[in-house]
Amino acid sequence: MKTLARELLFPLIAVIAAFVVGGILILLVGDNPIDAYRLLLGSALSWPDGIGYTLFHATPLIFTGLAVLVGFRCGLFNIGVEGQLYIAAFATAWVGIELANRSSWFLIPLCFAAAILAGALWAAIPGVLKARFGSHEVINTIMLNFIAVSLVSYFTQYYYKVPGDPILQTAMIGENAHIPRLGSFIPGLPERIPLNVAFLLALLCCVLVYLFLWRTKWGYEIRATGSNPSAAEYGGISIRKQIVVAMAVSGALAGMVGINEVLGYRYRYYDGFSDNYGFTGIAVALLGRNHPLGVIFAALLFAMLQHGGIYVDGFSENVTKDIVQVLQGIIILFVAAESFFKWLVGRARPQANQLPRVRAVTQ
Amino acid sequence: MKYKVFVLIALLGFMAFALSGCGRSAAAEDPSKIRVGIVFDIGGKDDRSFNAAAWEGVQRAAKELPIILRDIEPGTPNAIEPAMRAFAERNFDLIIGVGFAQAPIMEQVAKDYPNIQFAIIDGVSQLPNVASLVFKEHEGSYLVGILAAKASRTGTIGFLGGMDIGLIHRFAKGYEEGAKSVNPNIRVIENYVGVTDSAWNNPGKGKELSLAQIGKGADVIFTAAGNSGLGAFDAVEQQGKQNGRATHFVIGVDSNQNMVKPGFVLTSMVKRVDNAVYDIVHQVVNKRFSPGLHVFGLDKDGVGYAMDDFNKDLVPPEAIQEAEAAKAKIIGGEIKVTDAMGS
Repeated sequence: MKTLARELLFPLIAVIAAFVVGGILILLVGDNPIDAYRLLLGSALSWPDGIGYTLFHATPLIFTGLAVLVGFRCGLFNIGVEGQLYIAAFATAWVGIELANRSSWFLIPLCFAAAILAGALWAAIPGVLKARFGSHEVINTIMLNFIAVSLVSYFTQYYYKVPGDPILQTAMIGENAHIPRLGSFIPGLPERIPLNVAFLLALLCCVLVYLFLWRTKWGYEIRATGSNPSAAEYGGISIRKQIVVAMAVSGALAGMVGINEVLGYRYRYYDGFSDNYGFTGIAVALLGRNHPLGVIFAALLFAMLQHGGIYVDGFSENVTKDIVQVLQGIIILFVAAESFFKWLVGRARPQANQLPRVRAVTQ
Repeated sequence: MKYKVFVLIALLGFMAFALSGCGRSAAAEDPSKIRVGIVFDIGGKDDRSFNAAAWEGVQRAAKELPIILRDIEPGTPNAIEPAMRAFAERNFDLIIGVGFAQAPIMEQVAKDYPNIQFAIIDGVSQLPNVASLVFKEHEGSYLVGILAAKASRTGTIGFLGGMDIGLIHRFAKGYEEGAKSVNPNIRVIENYVGVTDSAWNNPGKGKELSLAQIGKGADVIFTAAGNSGLGAFDAVEQQGKQNGRATHFVIGVDSNQNMVKPGFVLTSMVKRVDNAVYDIVHQVVNKRFSPGLHVFGLDKDGVGYAMDDFNKDLVPPEAIQEAEAAKAKIIGGEIKVTDAMGS
């Protein structure tokens, strides 16, 4: 309970501090910060468009946040989420195009499998390279990002594009591969809003990742490897295996972004669709304190900033979308500067911090 | 633990409730004015070329006409649709989309808001509330092809395209035909920077391709490559001058780029996106909005070549006469320039 309160406290302070600093910035460019924030949050949380789009934007960030989280828990820094989700999105579209005429019961699970497997396999490459040869996963995942993005661009351009289409995108996937939008069964939510079943899948994944990491033997081994590889190995855990498993799970989660994008939104692979989801995922995991529950909140926050930012750009006098990006940056900065806040809080209430400890000792 | 989570959710819910209604009344706006919203391409309004021209057009409209102008730079493909809907939700009178990539999205949004007028630049839509603003790039390119052939001493000229797509082939084909009308034996070397969006933003590769063309003998290079085209400007400047005159020339595109490297820029094939945008705003203000295809060719000065103080000494009067004669013939229908997009 107390640890949870503390876990929640610092990200919350970071967010509030970021909004204060951002407010000063807005004041400097000549707008009223209160109005700007009202516009930001009001449009991000309006029903149905605001909430619909915010949850839609949050979906990929939950997946990528979870992907980074699983890596972090094993002591791995998976910067390759971006590449993994590109490969996976293309693989999803590929299955959806090639087997377009099969029935939904067959096609949708197959598309899901394609997204998950493609992401997992692509992420397993740097995993194996690290486990077998000790090459650093940060370098390998970054480099694989470039390869992934260019590879899918190539296949889209030369094999899967509709001839004459000026936009670099594949043909449409079969209608049987479409997954339902939430608007089709939530009253009041129009179906044009692309929020789809993948959002529910993202929430389910949060639960599954929690159960996997904290309730299974595999998860325990991954976390043990992450907190102290030497001790884990001494305890009989094969670190090499954990690295590969963790990377594959991480990549599988990243790959599910493809489900949201291809099966639930555009119904095709669109080149350059990702708004740096993989990299924002790092911030999401960080802000979410590497916990699935935290990831949901962090993803929602970033999604709110993204959707509300459009309105702030459009309907405020001087504030542009850049301010929203600055806000994101400041949040990350403050999260990273956590020890500063700890020090600040420690000074502000020295007794509150010390008393329980004393009591614990006397008990 | 559950308690804290509950509080947090409740807090978020409360914020949603408290704030959802407030944002709209924030800016008091004159209801009699026409409200115009413009959604830029991923490049943003400061690209010094295509988006910048559109921005210039709406800004001029905002100065001269009674309108309220709002703009959004989406920055990411997934933000384009919500950006358009943001304007539509608030009942804007005219929503302008910049760039062909927005055409399919506008098709969706315009269907949902039949009472709002839309305009798409470089894209085509059949909907009754969408105006499609397209340009006859091939006609303007034909004229700069004439000027290029007149200026070339080697009998070889180059074309540097950005993305390898139909729209850019249109520039290339018109340029080639124009050049061949002067010198049937002229050689045109054609290169493209790439096949993805990043092809518009790779001056390094643009320069390398230009240097390769120069190596093969090209002494005039026409670029239709957005930011990548600036590489051609560098490559040409690098060849230096002889007797006070540049040995190699570049031809700019979209905006007037004559002043980018004075003395090295033969001319620019200008595409008056600004005029087109201004016109459509003007139509909406005067309640004379007409949907469908708006084609901007040489006849409406929608395309053309730029002459100013920077290049008046580079292009001889005789070449201009020939270009002007061709222009009159194209407008009169005597010369038919091939449209590589076939429409």
